[in-house]
Order: sequence, then C-alpha cells, then structure tokens
Amino acid sequence: MKQFFDRLGKNEYYVAVFKNPFSYVTGAILLSILQIALFAYSGNPWGVSGTFANWGAWIFEAVGGNVDKWYYFSSPGAQATLEAGFLNHTGTMSNLGIIFGALFATLMASQFKIKKIKSVRQVVAAVLGGLLMGYGARLAYGCNIGAFYSGISSLSLSGWVFALSLLVGAFIGSKLLTKFFM
Amino acid sequence: MKEFVLDCMGEACPIPLVKAQKKMEEVETGDVVIVQCDHSCAMKNVPEWARNAGHNVEIDEVDDGEWEIIIEKSV
Amino acid sequence: MSEENKTIQRSSSRAPRKPKKSQIPLGFLLFIAMVIVGIALSFKSTNLGLFWLFGGLFGFVLQKSRFCFTASMRDPILTGGTSITRAVMVALAITTIGFTAIKYGYYINGLDIPGMSYVVPVGPATIIGGIMFGTGMVIAGGCASGTLMRVGEGFQMLMIALLFFVVGSLIGAHHFGWWKINFISHSPEIFLPDYLGWGGALLVQLLVIAGIYIFADKWQKKKVGSGEAGH
Repeated sequence: MKQFFDRLGKNEYYVAVFKNPFSYVTGAILLSILQIALFAYSGNPWGVSGTFANWGAWIFEAVGGNVDKWYYFSSPGAQATLEAGFLNHTGTMSNLGIIFGALFATLMASQFKIKKIKSVRQVVAAVLGGLLMGYGARLAYGCNIGAFYSGISSLSLSGWVFALSLLVGAFIGSKLLTKFFM
Repeated sequence: MKEFVLDCMGEACPIPLVKAQKKMEEVETGDVVIVQCDHSCAMKNVPEWARNAGHNVEIDEVDDGEWEIIIEKSV
Repeated sequence: MSEENKTIQRSSSRAPRKPKKSQIPLGFLLFIAMVIVGIALSFKSTNLGLFWLFGGLFGFVLQKSRFCFTASMRDPILTGGTSITRAVMVALAITTIGFTAIKYGYYINGLDIPGMSYVVPVGPATIIGGIMFGTGMVIAGGCASGTLMRVGEGFQMLMIALLFFVVGSLIGAHHFGWWKINFISHSPEIFLPDYLGWGGALLVQLLVIAGIYIFADKWQKKKVGSGEAGH
C-alpha cells in the first residue's frame, strides 16, 4: 500500500496536477469557469461573506441572543434562512467546501502543516483584520468575492467603487502592517 | 561570499517576501540569502520576485509544508 | 534562464533532510469523506450537495494557484509585484463575458435577469466598507476566500481572523439598519448596461480591465525588473 502511494506521488501526471502549484492565470481561468458555472446553475454569482453574518446570528442565537428585530435579518428570506438552520444553508456548504477543498489540495501535495501562532502581534492583527473585514463587508454588501469579483463581473458600478476603496484600504493596511505587524 | 538565513516560519504573507527584499538590498553580489518559510504563497512569490529582479533562485522542499528558498544575489 | 539549474553554492548549514512523510493517503481519506458528505447532503437537497462541490472546487483551485485577492491589491504597493493583479484582471474579464452572455440571453427573451441582487447600492457605505475591508484583509493576511483557504492549510492565525470576521459581520449586521437609513437608502444601484447599453457596458468594462492589466505590467517592470515574466 505504501509503495502504491510513494509511486503515485512521483508519477509525472500526479506531480503536474496535485504536487506542483498552478500558475496564477490558470487559477484565474479555472475560477472563472467555476463562477460562470455556479451562476448558470444557481442564478447567483459566488459569495462568501454573507454566510459569515448568518454564522454570527446562529452562534448568537445559540447563546441566547435574538436577531429577529434587526433590520438586516428582517426580510422574509432572511428569516426563512435563519429558521432553516446552517445545515440547510447553501452558503455554509460552499464556505466549508472551500476550507476542505484547500485542505485536500494541501494534503495531496504533502504540504500540510499547522502554522502555530508565534506572537501576540499576530493575534492582534488577526482580531483587528477579521473585525474590519466582517464589518466592512456588511456595509458594502459583500467581500472580495461578492462585492468585488462578482460585483464587477455583474456589471455593477458598486464593484468598481468597492475595488478602488479596497485599494485605498490595502494602502492603509500596508502602512500599518509594516509599522506595527512586521 | 557570505550566507544569511532568514527564519520566516509561521509568518503570514507578505512578510517572507518583504524581509527577503530588505535583506537582498543589504547584502553584496555573490552573497546567498536562504529564506525558510512554511507559507504556500511565499514559496511562489519569493522566487518569482527574485527571478524578476535578476537573481539566481532555487527552492528546496525540506519537509511537509516547509521550504528553503535559496537566493544568490546576482546583480 | 539556464542559470536556474546551476546549484547555488552554500555552506553545510543546510537543514538535515528528515524523511518526509507522504500525506497523500490522508488526502485520499479526506476525498472519500468529502464525497460521503456530498452524497449525504444531496439526499437532503441536490442544491446543498452542489454548493458543497462548488466550494470544494473553489478551495482546491484557490490553494493550488495560491490565488489571493489581497495580494492583488497589496503587492503592487508593498513589493511592486503585479502578477496576481494581472491574473485577477484575467478572471474579471472572463467572468464578465460569461455572466453578461448569460444575462443577455435572459434579457432578450424577456425573462427576469438573474443575479441582479449583486447589483447593489453604491455610495458612502460602499467606500467606507471597502476601505475597512481592504485594511483588514492586508493586516489579517487574507481576504474572505483567502482566510477560508488558509484555515484549510492549517494557519492558526487565520482561524482567529475567521472567528473575528464572523463577529465583525454580526456587529455590521446589527448596525446595518443605521447605515441603511442614513446612507444606503439614498444610494443608487447602477447596472452599467442601463446607462451604456449591453454592448457598450461590456466593451467599456473590458477596455478598463485591459488598461489596468497593461498598467500593472508596466508597474512591475518598473518596480522589480523583468528577468522572467511572472505567472
């Protein structure tokens, strides 16, 4: 059995697909195909961050909170989604899929390693970065996928305005990174 | 010909690349800088930058998910 | 460059090579588990199973290509590199064409155009949200898709970022009503074909994307050099 896996790992086709990285442009083409296929199938482009708001709501409700009076969750659609729970939520399945798809890719290349936290600085960066992304994505109706990638591809001006704002934010973030988080 | 080792294990993007760039500015032509990292982005963007800047680069996968990127300053 | 094959001389401070353990068997096990989950979900609803599949494929492609939207914006500033920026332009171009073709098909048949929920109000909230998101993604070391991908790669730091992404999303949802009343409800939704026509909007957008691509190419050549075109 071990011999099989060792020989598989050295096979030239295996190496090309599973071991070596893809080029960025290959990634771009494949992601586009997936985006278009998803859109054709479901009628909506790819989105990632909307699901995080639902996750937050479910966790909040699990510890006794209630979001039913919030404007954000007030629409019949949003209420129905919350009622149905995360096991019935397509966005949850696609986000979890991303995590496991990436894990699968890493394992097949024998490149998986747990990267432990090295410093308090990293924790502060993760907390601050996560909060900013979460809040910002709600204001803009999406993240780098929903508001930027899908937004622009949907010929919505919001996508371009968001993109320029991302650039400004990336500039600020880069300055903060070099000053405080290097 | 001196050799320098940059331990960038556990660092997130783009820290390995930024540290590599800074170090390459300091060293002399012919010196070798070895960047140790465990970030999948870094094992791609550090060699790419180094080649575009005209240096010789080699990548060594030293363990599961750990790489050494060996850059020889050539300009 | 043939010099790539020359072995760079280095001292014996080379890290001793431990025999590497192949993780491929684990990969196969995970694959089987993912298929089982996919089938189980499909029993509930084919839709759920397909979204799981799409997610898995997205995650696989993102990791294999180290595709990172954060890097597309951050690298031109921090390192001068634009190879990911240019790849993002390629993705935008192809996806725009695909989406527009589909949408136009519905339009000329008099049907409701799909995906219009992604044409969202553009205004101060978009800008503030974008600046916050852009700052956060660079500090955290990953954007929304990048964070999920890196959680799958085992980065503890990004697991924390994910947790607080969820927290930030909840707080944002909590405040959303205020933003809606004060800003978003005064902001228009602008679908470019409504203003430029379908052909015009597509052409203008592709031209802008091409322009950014060319600019990015020149930027990298200026900042870094052009030893070998990055891909």
